Amino acid sequence: MSEHTVSRYDDELKDIARRIAEMGGMAERLVDHAVTALTRLDTTIANSVISDDKRLDLLQRECEEQAILIIARRQPMAMDLREVIGALRISNDLERIGDLAKNIAKRVIALDGQFQSKRFMTGVEHMAELSLAQLKDVLDAYALRDVKQAFEVWKRDAEIDQMYTSLFRELLTYMMEDPRNITFCTHLLFCAKNIERIGDHTTNIAETIQYAVTGELLPDERPKHDDSSITTVPYETT
Amino acid sequence: MATLGTSAVSTPTAQAIYRRRRRGNGILLTFSFAATIFGLAWLVLILAALLYNGFSGLSLSVFTETTPPPGSAGGLLNAIVGSLIMTVAGVLIGTPIGILAGTYMSEYGRHNQLTTVVRFINDILLAAPSIVIGLFVYEVVVAPMGHFSAFAGAIALAILVIPVVVRTTEDMLNLVPNTLREAASALGLPRSIVIRNIAYKAAMSGIVTGVLLAIARVSGETAPLLFTALNNQFWSTNLNGPMSSLPVTIFQFALSPYPDWQKLAWSGALLITITVLALNIVARAFLSPRTSK
Amino acid sequence: MTQTATTQNGLAEKVSIRNLKFFYGQNLALKSINLPLYEKKVTAFIGPSGCGKSTLLRILNRMYDLYPKQHAEGEVLFDGGNILNPGQDLNLLRARIGMVFQKPTPFPMSIYDNIAFGVRLYENLGKAEMDARVESALTRAALWNEVKNKLTASGLSLSGGQQQRLCIARTIAVRPEVVLMDEPCSALDPISTAKIEELIDELTADYTIAIVTHNMQQAARVSDYTAFMYLGELIEFDETQKIFTAPSDKRTQDYITGRFG
Repeated sequence: MSEHTVSRYDDELKDIARRIAEMGGMAERLVDHAVTALTRLDTTIANSVISDDKRLDLLQRECEEQAILIIARRQPMAMDLREVIGALRISNDLERIGDLAKNIAKRVIALDGQFQSKRFMTGVEHMAELSLAQLKDVLDAYALRDVKQAFEVWKRDAEIDQMYTSLFRELLTYMMEDPRNITFCTHLLFCAKNIERIGDHTTNIAETIQYAVTGELLPDERPKHDDSSITTVPYETT
Repeated sequence: MATLGTSAVSTPTAQAIYRRRRRGNGILLTFSFAATIFGLAWLVLILAALLYNGFSGLSLSVFTETTPPPGSAGGLLNAIVGSLIMTVAGVLIGTPIGILAGTYMSEYGRHNQLTTVVRFINDILLAAPSIVIGLFVYEVVVAPMGHFSAFAGAIALAILVIPVVVRTTEDMLNLVPNTLREAASALGLPRSIVIRNIAYKAAMSGIVTGVLLAIARVSGETAPLLFTALNNQFWSTNLNGPMSSLPVTIFQFALSPYPDWQKLAWSGALLITITVLALNIVARAFLSPRTSK
Repeated sequence: MTQTATTQNGLAEKVSIRNLKFFYGQNLALKSINLPLYEKKVTAFIGPSGCGKSTLLRILNRMYDLYPKQHAEGEVLFDGGNILNPGQDLNLLRARIGMVFQKPTPFPMSIYDNIAFGVRLYENLGKAEMDARVESALTRAALWNEVKNKLTASGLSLSGGQQQRLCIARTIAVRPEVVLMDEPCSALDPISTAKIEELIDELTADYTIAIVTHNMQQAARVSDYTAFMYLGELIEFDETQKIFTAPSDKRTQDYITGRFG
């Protein structure tokens, strides 16, 4: 893309994109660490996630200020306007992703000493992997302004949703098997829900990329396969 | 742009150039000042002589009595009135022609060839020696009529008035911003109304100034009147006969050997000078930006 | 006579520009412009200096006729007739398609006469009717309260912003159908500009407006449709919202985002 007549404007836009990239890296790391803390039930890592999230919040605020300043100073139009609005929205999504990672970390601390069985973890772990890959892909798509890749991410979220539904069913089953699992599995369920929410924010980012680059919005209805709200497991006494 | 930090003005070469420029500036300024003083000195001398000699002869009789035969007392009444009549007649004939021509040139024919030609000829006429105009009118009016007349004098003055008025009218109308004409036209106003109600209104002070300057110019003319209205020792308001006028009377009296005639010539010269001065001041007042009402 | 073409988007075309070319002497200044002005909508013309936007505006009321060696080809349909026809009565046309200029141009006469002047030419109004007409025009132009006690004062005694509103009042007093505005705010301070933008909003209830502006934000604020012109060509014409958020042409994008040249 050719440059603006006012080169400071270019610098400002580059600066805000750089901040988003930084936030993306940090959010990715937070999610990664939170999941590691969860699978290993490691409270040290969990604590570091909680404190690192503050930094992400700060970055988000800076990003927002920068975007507001650009709007006030330059009155951006067309692609610039979409770029700035996009940055504003993506920074918001990344901040929320950080919060969700923090929430997982908090649950890890709550679960301390309640370890039940490694087998409970596999589903969550698998889901987290996919979700992380999605996040990574969407950040790459943002860096390259790659609409196609963003669209792929957007479509793939259905898989996470499906995994969540089956995980929901699985964890319910564990709880019914043995009421002593209930505390642990409930926390785990919330962690899974958080991961699923991270996936949602990731698709939001994909949508934003699509809008920022093309000016067109993706269809309202995203392929949703989170059926957990209508999922039940029949109670059988054995 | 990288050298902005160290100012170029502070280097020794720059200082030397700067000093040389200042010296040159000082010398030129001195010359200009001297030339101005030299030019103004003559003007002051002329005015002083005029005031000194003119005022001493100025009395009520100058305005109430006609020109006397040599050796007796008298005034300039017939010359003053004759000048007034011929100037007014000349301006009345010349002004409408000049304004209409100027209007054509600025409003209708601004971009055509005719205007360019007319403007060129008008400029020549503006610079033509007035004696040539006098001769011309003598040939086309006085000679066929067989005698000198105030009417011929008025025509000669009118011919002198026209180029001045044409020029100022055109210039002043050209100064009226085109945006004003466009704005008026954009309301659907026909051309004639745009000119009469908008352009003239905006150029009014300038056009009036032009007419005043034209009057100032012709009121001192001697040569064209010499060939056309000649002169008249006696009271006359007959346009069809010779008529006295201030400039011609001054010319005649000043060259005469009689001291009282010479005295009257000085007074007449003072009168003309004051009139021209007054007209110029009024014209200036018209041109100065008016305070909004 | 008032039949107007209705297009697929359901809007009536008050003015239809078809295949319009314009020449300054031998120079082709506008290359085949096709454009509608929708009835009771504001259409903004934007583009860099010399792109032909003002030229286009001045064709719509045949203002170029004041100058020699300029001529237009093609069609400008206004209520079904081509205004470029040689037989077109220009004064009548200009009374129906009014124009407001870049610099305020009050006539050298009183505020009242500035407005009554144009009206008198086409209508014989009594004193009371004329007073009412002057008041309503000044009220619509949001100037009445500021000048009602000094209607006999010279129009030139007003401030720049007031003068421009006086010119707008003068234009709407003759009740045109279309109002052309050639950078009406470029000489005004932001408050006067805001007042004029507010005025444009109100005028759309009755008038079709075409506005040339260098101020992109202004175009975005006041117009319903925007035409981007470049080097005598119409590059893009679309809803203003579309032009300023997601234009289709790269040149439009470059211009409105400040990436030109």
